[in-house]
Amino acid sequence: MAVEFARLEGRSKPYYTAMVVLAGLGLVGTFATYYMHVHGLYLSGMTNRVPWGLQISMAIFYIGLSAGSLVVSGLYGIFGQMQYKPFARIAAYLAMLFLIAGLLSIFTDQGRLDRVLVEPFTHFNLRSMFSINPSLYSGHVMICVIYLWALFREKGTLTKIASLTVVLWAIGTHTGTGAIFAFVPRELYNSPLLPPSFVAAALSSGAALMILVNVALFRAAKRPLADELVVWLGRRLLAIFLLVTLYMMLIENLHRSYLVGTREAGLFFLFGGFHSLLFWVGLITLGCIIPAVLLFMRRTGTSVNWIVFASVLVVVGVLFERFLIVVPGLIHPPELFPGMEITSSPIWEGVVRYSVSFPEITQALGVAGVIGFAFLAGLKFMPLMPTEARAVA
Amino acid sequence: MKLSNPLRTGNTGRVVALCGLIILLPIGYSAVRALIPQRSEVPQVFLEKPLAAFQDCVEETSYMRVHHMDLLKQLREDVIRDGIRGEVTLEQCARCHTSRERFCDRCHQAANVILDCFGCHYYPEPGSEAQGL
Amino acid sequence: MDRREFLKKGSVALAGTSGALGLPLLTSCRSQEAHADGPLAGRKWGMVIDLNKCREDCTACVDACRNENNVAYHEDQRWDIHWIRKVTIESKDTSNPIEKSVLLLCNHCENPPCAQVCPVQATYKREDGIVVVDHHRCIGCRYCMIACPYNARFFNYRENPDWPNKEFPKRSHGVAESCTFCAHLVDRGEQPACVAACASAGEGAMAFGNLDDPNSEVSRLIADRPVKRIREDWGTEPKVYYIGL
Repeated sequence: MAVEFARLEGRSKPYYTAMVVLAGLGLVGTFATYYMHVHGLYLSGMTNRVPWGLQISMAIFYIGLSAGSLVVSGLYGIFGQMQYKPFARIAAYLAMLFLIAGLLSIFTDQGRLDRVLVEPFTHFNLRSMFSINPSLYSGHVMICVIYLWALFREKGTLTKIASLTVVLWAIGTHTGTGAIFAFVPRELYNSPLLPPSFVAAALSSGAALMILVNVALFRAAKRPLADELVVWLGRRLLAIFLLVTLYMMLIENLHRSYLVGTREAGLFFLFGGFHSLLFWVGLITLGCIIPAVLLFMRRTGTSVNWIVFASVLVVVGVLFERFLIVVPGLIHPPELFPGMEITSSPIWEGVVRYSVSFPEITQALGVAGVIGFAFLAGLKFMPLMPTEARAVA
Repeated sequence: MKLSNPLRTGNTGRVVALCGLIILLPIGYSAVRALIPQRSEVPQVFLEKPLAAFQDCVEETSYMRVHHMDLLKQLREDVIRDGIRGEVTLEQCARCHTSRERFCDRCHQAANVILDCFGCHYYPEPGSEAQGL
Repeated sequence: MDRREFLKKGSVALAGTSGALGLPLLTSCRSQEAHADGPLAGRKWGMVIDLNKCREDCTACVDACRNENNVAYHEDQRWDIHWIRKVTIESKDTSNPIEKSVLLLCNHCENPPCAQVCPVQATYKREDGIVVVDHHRCIGCRYCMIACPYNARFFNYRENPDWPNKEFPKRSHGVAESCTFCAHLVDRGEQPACVAACASAGEGAMAFGNLDDPNSEVSRLIADRPVKRIREDWGTEPKVYYIGL
């Protein structure tokens, strides 16, 4: 079955409106970043007890999204599964853009923007995950470019090799991103399960976003998209990834709460604050269980609209999960004196709060704007979208 | 008006190559600039003469004009990383070059090179008691 | 594409990619560690704090540190920096009520997680064991703050309005920092500001010296008195010892 790809016309009013809005967001975000660079990061909601917040959460969210997209693309590239060919190019391009979004988010969060493009490349620290990861990320982007080029050229062997490389590299990248947190001696970070659970959530969110993006694009461009393809993405891929994610979350939290040494921290995570609500309601119920049920039930799992709804829930759930990786570990204090508690101190010693500030949100929206703009522009100038996506007989 | 689209299927490779060139060009330029030895592109401005004879300076004037930052970087690596606090210190410089405005700033403003030092390091006023930088 | 063409193009692509990715690794060949034969060799600085002597109302060490090192104070707990701080701890077990003051500062660990994770090696351990930040290189990523299990590291979120000691630089916003054991004073043969202040204005509860020298005050205190470090089970090997913890 031959799949034909064609550029988006890109001259409709909704298209131009979207481009203007996204560009505007990008400009505002850039200004917010510059302003914070000049005046100081105190304009964000971060404090000495919570030094990482929204930007890092968004960064790992974006990086995770790129994995899922790539696996979808890889199913065509590696295994030659023709039913995924219609999505292969969009997935590869989106994966590249999401990784760039992750890099941009990290970049906007640094204290010295004038040094962050110089020092990490002239002074390397092989023992630091924060130093290894940029190499993994930039390599990932380059391999995505090669893979995209191979897809355009319809070169079978190169596609296969590039696709395999990029999927393996993606697993390495996401393990590395999870390791940024897992390889650090904080009670709620330090866990060997964190890198694989990060990969599992990445695959879920990426697959869900692929569903959302493709359904929205095909509807907007008025190109036919066979229901069976969406059902394949939903029931065969997303549902499995969701179950694995749920399993990882279960084991991680059981382990932490079981062992006496980490029990207090584990129970704080599960029941100790607003983040617990995000966990139980946002991530577990809305983000994992309800979508899984919707996908496995025959009536809803074969309906495109229900699958889209489930995908939205998954993406939002994983966004909460990324926030839950970063912030609860920081708002929970380390136990410096077992059996004692600190009753007075010039700094906040106990559980603290973290709230985002307006400039921080602006920065995050700016990154989204830049990437969205690049995505829509890519659709117009490159033949990424198929003219139609029919199910293979 | 329909613009001719450069991305007809046959051209994709060339476009990707062009993008790669756009990305690599500034990197390559910076690398080449960093590797070739620097000429002395120092603007000719009137700088306040130091208090002592310039033979007493660490190096001769023509060298200092171009390479003072290299010297300072080496100094700071020695002091911070290796604890080698030798005879050449920033305080020593300020003893002869007593005014930052009439010495450092004049040339830096003319050359349009940002001075990052004095947000953290104190340059003593002429005749002030504070010695340290 | 036939096999030959594939091999040709594949090897070019591989070479190009590995070259591009490997370039940063070349910079790691340059040793960034401190040299083993410099003036810092042969010493391992440590501190012993006798909490029994620490007077409840005394803040000599805290004030001296802030004034010596230009540590930022904004009267806002979100951004205030405390290289050394005094806290009160009470036992959770009400049947055995204990209350005491503890001085918390950077422990200058022998295995510092902060130095391990700094992506640019701006935070590193000197040859004499002092963990310092090179503020010229720090990019402000705050990973060291995440990695420190003692919460002893701080970030300059805003510009420091005060400059009490013009002989020592202050930090502009955007870099991380923590206690340096007053390395600039120690290198001159003096004591850290907190130790000196405690000896003159306080009760002489702090001792600072060379842990590798068996005759130094700190070594003798560690040998003779029951000393404890904070959370020794973490494996960081801190070099601040406490008597009476």
